[in-house]
Amino acid sequence: MNCPPLLMRLGIYGQRRFSLWLPLFLLWPLAAAVAIVLTPLVLLAALIFRPLVWGKLALLSGPMFFGVLCALRGLELDLNLGSRLLHISFK
Amino acid sequence: MSDNQKRILDLLAEKKISVDEAQRLLSLTGPEKDTGTKGSEESAGAKGKPKYFRVQVQPEAGSGKESVNVRIPMALIHAGMKLTYLIPDHASDEVNEALREKGVNFDVRNLKEEDFEELVAALTDLEVDVKGGKEKVHIYVE
Repeated sequence: MNCPPLLMRLGIYGQRRFSLWLPLFLLWPLAAAVAIVLTPLVLLAALIFRPLVWGKLALLSGPMFFGVLCALRGLELDLNLGSRLLHISFK
Repeated sequence: MSDNQKRILDLLAEKKISVDEAQRLLSLTGPEKDTGTKGSEESAGAKGKPKYFRVQVQPEAGSGKESVNVRIPMALIHAGMKLTYLIPDHASDEVNEALREKGVNFDVRNLKEEDFEELVAALTDLEVDVKGGKEKVHIYVE
């Protein structure tokens, strides 16, 4: 299993140069704590709504979103907005 | 040489940006032949399993339009494909309807991961270049 991105880089290059590294790894322990707290509630909701489609979706959505989060690593976006250049990347 | 390119070289000369940053920024400005060649070399070198899906939109010089360079990890696309299971039926219907209005007769419920695998397999052997209006779109994998 991949791990989620540790850093996000945001850069704006124009007349003034601005580059920011956001330490995403500081958020993950917090997110993990929230996930641990919410897991029993989600399981309960899934159990209650089991006959409905939403029960299955509630169970699947967590791992799926975590998968997307992990897969963000390596994503790069460069936009040339004429006078400014915008760069976003996940490391 | 465009104003943007001059500005990037100025920033490099003033040591405000690194050589790598300047190279990356230069590749975004103007329709340079380097960009396409580099993409071809990279994709040609990665004949194994491609890791990234690249989309580059280059406007014509002087058109003043934005250029876009996106590198999407394949893992993100696969994860995104799995998310389609979460789309409710009525939302799929609305998407299909919107596509039909645009002249695209396609059912998003039929979108399967295998189809995307086929597309990626095809893109490892060829690159897609679309030139329309004042933009050139280059799609390849690396």
